[in-house]
Amino acid sequence: MSGQFSDEPMIDVYIFETTQNIEQLEQIILASEKESNFGEAAINEIFRLMHTIKGSSAMMLFNNIATVAHAVEDLFFFLRESKPAQVDCAMLSDLVLSGIDFTKVELAKVKNGDTPDGEATQLMQEIRDFLQLLKQTNFPAAPPPDRTPAPVNQQYYISSDRRTPHLAQNLFKAVIFFEDDCEMENIRAYSIVHNLKEFTSDLHYVPVDIIDNDASVAVIRENGFTILLKTDSDYAEIHKLLNNTAFLKDFELIELADEQEFVTFQTANNLNPMELELKLHEQLAEKVVLNSVPKAPTELKSGVAQSIISVNVDKLDKLMDLVGELVIAEAMVTQNPDLTGLELDNFHKAARQLRKISGELQDMVMSIRMVPLATTFQKMHRILRDMSKRLGKEVTLEIVGEQTEVDKNIIEHISDPLMHLVRNSIDHGIESNQQRLAAGKTAPATITLEATNAGGDVLILVKDNGKGLDQAKILQRAEQHGLLNKPAAEMSDREIYNLIFLPGFSTQEQVTEFSGRGVGMDVVVKNIEAVGGCVLVDSTPGEGTKVTLKIPLTLAIIDGMNIRVGNSRYTLPTTSIKESFRPKPNDIITDPNGNEVIMVRGQCFPVLRLHDLYQVATAMTDFTEGILIMVEQDTSSICLYADELLGQQQVVVKTLPNYIKSLKKITGLSGCTLLGDGSISLILDVGGLLEHVTHQVRS
Amino acid sequence: MTKVLVVDDSAFMRMAIKNILADKDYEIFEAEDGALAVEKFIECAPDIITMDITMPQYNGIDALKQIRTIDGNAKVVMISAMGQEMMVKQALVHGATAFIVKPFKHEQVLQTLAKVAST
Repeated sequence: MSGQFSDEPMIDVYIFETTQNIEQLEQIILASEKESNFGEAAINEIFRLMHTIKGSSAMMLFNNIATVAHAVEDLFFFLRESKPAQVDCAMLSDLVLSGIDFTKVELAKVKNGDTPDGEATQLMQEIRDFLQLLKQTNFPAAPPPDRTPAPVNQQYYISSDRRTPHLAQNLFKAVIFFEDDCEMENIRAYSIVHNLKEFTSDLHYVPVDIIDNDASVAVIRENGFTILLKTDSDYAEIHKLLNNTAFLKDFELIELADEQEFVTFQTANNLNPMELELKLHEQLAEKVVLNSVPKAPTELKSGVAQSIISVNVDKLDKLMDLVGELVIAEAMVTQNPDLTGLELDNFHKAARQLRKISGELQDMVMSIRMVPLATTFQKMHRILRDMSKRLGKEVTLEIVGEQTEVDKNIIEHISDPLMHLVRNSIDHGIESNQQRLAAGKTAPATITLEATNAGGDVLILVKDNGKGLDQAKILQRAEQHGLLNKPAAEMSDREIYNLIFLPGFSTQEQVTEFSGRGVGMDVVVKNIEAVGGCVLVDSTPGEGTKVTLKIPLTLAIIDGMNIRVGNSRYTLPTTSIKESFRPKPNDIITDPNGNEVIMVRGQCFPVLRLHDLYQVATAMTDFTEGILIMVEQDTSSICLYADELLGQQQVVVKTLPNYIKSLKKITGLSGCTLLGDGSISLILDVGGLLEHVTHQVRS
Repeated sequence: MTKVLVVDDSAFMRMAIKNILADKDYEIFEAEDGALAVEKFIECAPDIITMDITMPQYNGIDALKQIRTIDGNAKVVMISAMGQEMMVKQALVHGATAFIVKPFKHEQVLQTLAKVAST
C-alpha cells in the first residue's frame, strides 16, 4: 500500500466513498440506458462523480483508477460542453460500466490491502476511440471546443486607473519561477497579473498566451514568467506583493532605469500597446460566467442537513457488545439468588425501571445498526442488465419494500445469495422470448424482489414469472445422484422443490456462463443458514417460481427459553418453539431401530433426547419425569426431551470460543450465552438438530 | 488559532485536508456543499476557506461569489484539479486568493494556507 495517506482511516473513507460513488454511478447509467438518453442532469452528475473518484484516487496515488476516471470524466466533459446530437447510448453505457467494473476490481484489491495494479490500456483506448468517434460524427468539419475553451485574447492588463491622468514613475522587470510540480503554472502567472492590477497602469508579460494556451505551462517552467510593469508603487511594495505568491520557487525583481528597455522588450516580444482592452477582466469574467451558467443562489438550507454522521461499524459492534453485557448484568442483579425470599418492594420498582431503560437502550442500538435493503436490491439491476443482454432475454426487475431494514452484519451475508438467485432465475427460470410468446405470456419477463417484515424476521422474496420448476426432472436428477431419502411418492411439493438446494444438485445439462460456476443453490442455503435464516421454494408450472429467504432481523440478542438437562443449561430461540408438554407413557413409540417417536394429535414426531446427544448425566431419563419441547423449522418438527423449563429471557448470542470450534464440530449448537445467575448456557440450533435427526433416521 | 472552513462534497477530500492541518495551529470547520459553505461562513467567521470547485447543485464558484459579496475580504483558496484551468481563472477573477491543484502534497497545503493567512 503506497501513498502519503496510507493510514487506515483515510483508506477506509476512500473505499467507503468511492464504493458509494460507484453505486450511484451505476444507478444513473442504468436509468439513462433504460431511457436510451443521457439527460443533462445525468451527464453533470456522472461528470461530478468521476471527478471526485479521480481526485481521491490521485490523492491515494492509485493512478490507474485515477486515469480511467479521468478518461470517463473527459468523455462527459465533452458531452456536457458540446452537447453532441448523435450519441450511441448503449455503447456509452457499456464503456462507463466497464470503467466502473475496472474500478470495482481495483477497489477490491485496495480492500484486501493489495496495491491496485490493474492494466486499463485497452479500456482507455476504447474510451478515447469513442470520444474521437463522437467528435467526428457530430462535428465533422470544425473541431469541437477542447477541454479549455478558447477565452478572450488577453495579453496584458491595463488598470482602469489609467483613465485618471497620472504618471507612473517606476519601471520594473520581474522574472518568476514556480516550484516544481505545483501544476497550472499559467494560471498561477495569471493570478500574479491579476494581483498586480491595482498597482499598475501598464503591464506586459511573456509568455503572452497564458490564458488560452496550456502549452505556456512548459515555457514558464523552462524560462520563468517575465513581467514588465509601470507603477507608482516602490520596489519594496512590488517585492512584497510578488513574494507573497504561493508556490514561489524563486523570483528576481529589477528596477529599470529608463523606458528604453521597456520598449525593446515590447518590440522583441511583439507586443503592441493596447488601448482598447481596459475592461478585459470584465470581459473574461463575462465569458466564463456564460460557460458555467451559475444558478441563482438558492435559498439557504437550514442547519438540519448536517445531522447525519458516519460511524465506524467496529464501534457499533463494540456498543452492541456492551449493551449485551448490560443485559446480562441486569439479569444478574435483578435475578440474584441472594434476593430469593426477601420482601423487596422498592428494589423491584427500581429494577423495573432499570429493565425498561436498558430495554430502550437495546432497541436504540439495534435500530442504529439497521440498514435498508435498498442498496443490496439496487445492485441486482446491474446483474439483470448484463445477463438479459447476453442471453437475449427481456427481463424487467420490480422492487418492493426496499426500505425494509436489516442488521448491518446480516445484509453482508445476503447479497451473494440474492445475486445467485436472480442469476438462476434469469438463466433457468425464464424462458426465451419466443417460448414466452408461444406460451401466451408477455415477452418481457418480470423478476420481483420483495422484502417484508414478519415478526422477528424479514422475508425476502425472489419471484419470477418464468416456466416454474419441473418436478419430474428434479426427482429424476435427485435419484441419479442418490439424494432422495424417501420414496418420491411420499414427498410433498415443497420437499421436492427443496431438493434443488442440496449440494451436488443441478438440473441444467448445459452449464452456462452465469449459473454454473461450480457452485449450486446449496451455497445460497449455506449463506442464509449462517445468519440463522432459511430458504423456501414454491413453484407453479408455467407460472413461475418463488424463493423465500427468511432471515432474522438481528443476530445479537434473541428471545430465548432456558432449559435444564442435568447440570447443563441450554437456550432455545422462542420463535422456533411450538409447544411443550409432558407425554403419556403410551404415546411414545419405538421403531425397530431404536428410534423414538411420539404421536401427537395423530401425527408422529421424532424425539431427540438432549442428554443422549450431549452425553449429560441426569437422573431424569423417563419421559414422564421431564418435558418434551416441540420445535419447528421449515415446516418440519421434532420433540426435544429435557429435564425442565427454566423460563424465558432475552439472551445475548455469543459465538462459541474458537478453541472449542477448532477442537470439534458440535451438532446443533449456534452459540452460547450467559444467564442471570452467571452460568453459561448453550444456544441450540434447531436447524442443526433437525438435520441430525434426519441423518439418524436415514442411517 | 486560524479558523479554516473546509468545503468539499467528498468526505475523503475533507479528511485529507483535515489530516494535513491536524496538530497545527488550525481550527477546522467543514461544509459539504456550496450552500452549507455560505451558511457556515456566516456562522463561524473562518479566516480562510478552502473551496472545492466541483460540487453538486451549488458549486464552489457560486459559493465563492456569495461569500465575497458577504465579505469582500474573505480569503478563499480554491481546490481544483487538472483540467479545471478555466474555472480557476474565473475563481481568481471573482476574488479567490489562491488555489491548490489536486493531488496536492502536505507542504503545498500548509505553505499556501500560511501565505494566505499572513496577507
